[in-house]
Amino acid sequence: MSDARTVHALYRKLLAFYPQEFRDRLGLSMEQTFQDLWNERLQTKKGWFSFVLWTFVETAIGIFREYLLLISPGDLMQTILKPIGSSALLGFLFILPFMIMEVVNRRNFKEEFPTFLFFAMWLNLFAVSVILLPILRARRTGTHAMANSASTKGSTLLRNPGSAAITSVVLFLSPGILPLLDSVGWLSLDRLFNGPNPEAAYLPGMIMSLGLLLFSVAAGIVASRPIVNTLRARGSLFAHPINLIIVVLLLSTFVIGLATLIIDQWPCFVGVRNCD
Amino acid sequence: MVTTKSIPPLTPAVFHILLALSTGERHGYGIMKQVEVDSQGKVTMGPGTLYGSLKRMLDAGLVRESEKRVDPEMDDERRIYYQITGMGAEALAAELERYQRIVTIAQQRKLYPKTLAYDV
Repeated sequence: MSDARTVHALYRKLLAFYPQEFRDRLGLSMEQTFQDLWNERLQTKKGWFSFVLWTFVETAIGIFREYLLLISPGDLMQTILKPIGSSALLGFLFILPFMIMEVVNRRNFKEEFPTFLFFAMWLNLFAVSVILLPILRARRTGTHAMANSASTKGSTLLRNPGSAAITSVVLFLSPGILPLLDSVGWLSLDRLFNGPNPEAAYLPGMIMSLGLLLFSVAAGIVASRPIVNTLRARGSLFAHPINLIIVVLLLSTFVIGLATLIIDQWPCFVGVRNCD
Repeated sequence: MVTTKSIPPLTPAVFHILLALSTGERHGYGIMKQVEVDSQGKVTMGPGTLYGSLKRMLDAGLVRESEKRVDPEMDDERRIYYQITGMGAEALAAELERYQRIVTIAQQRKLYPKTLAYDV
């Protein structure tokens, strides 16, 4: 009985994460439906753990979807999820030959597989692709109908080129606060990213580095949004020059990062001993 | 006259919800159960998908909420029921017409399971 109370209270708390309008309109109904599903589960005398796990995960995905739709209404698959999925796949396909070269050419050296190197390569490719793909796609398939839905809906933040550019710059520069804090002695970047033992791999540091990189990816996506909307309206690629400059700069950063990694690691890929 | 040109294709979730509501008003849990029956257990819709779709269907005028009332087959709690609107019925009809046309094409091309050459 106490299990039931706890689970219901937790589900109510989960529902509180839905956007206000959604919660006001459908929250009560959802709670009731959860209660009905719970009762059904009890009647069939099946265990409740898998049911609770499935319901909570499914609802959490629903919450995420509602927020995505608030940011970018319209065809969700088209606007958000499709570019992310395609970019992840493209990135992987691009690094695959290098991974094969690494495995084949270094199989006799008994070294550890450089997972982090390939992850960094993939991330740079993913960033380039996730920013560039929607622009290319909008340029190719722009229609008036799509333009209408993109320009009349959506948050002001992403629709207005000026605020999108400012948000993008803020996002890009925000990790810069860390070196500032380091310089005034409020935190140690070295310890933050390398951990107490710089010789050993430090997972929290890697995760933080990834998080900081994602700020730049988000900056690129935000800056490119007005460009995508304009292209869908069959407008010019150069309609928002500031946004375009930001996008080009960010893309250049990721491309240079990737090229540097490939050039630096090329001897390793082709099997040179002690290449590092 | 319902034409497929005037109504865009429906997502699978919206299609199943409209189909479930086509025979009468239902509450959330009732919709879920009807979807399971209609799909012969192949589609299980969770609350996140169901209510996310219902929200967009309410906004688009495909369904509407009706009065709260007690389900005689369940507990004595009053529930919100949902019913299909005229526009919802038209959208469902247009989708079924689309399916019908696809099945016809499949039959003409002998792709339909019962007409497959190796099946005969």
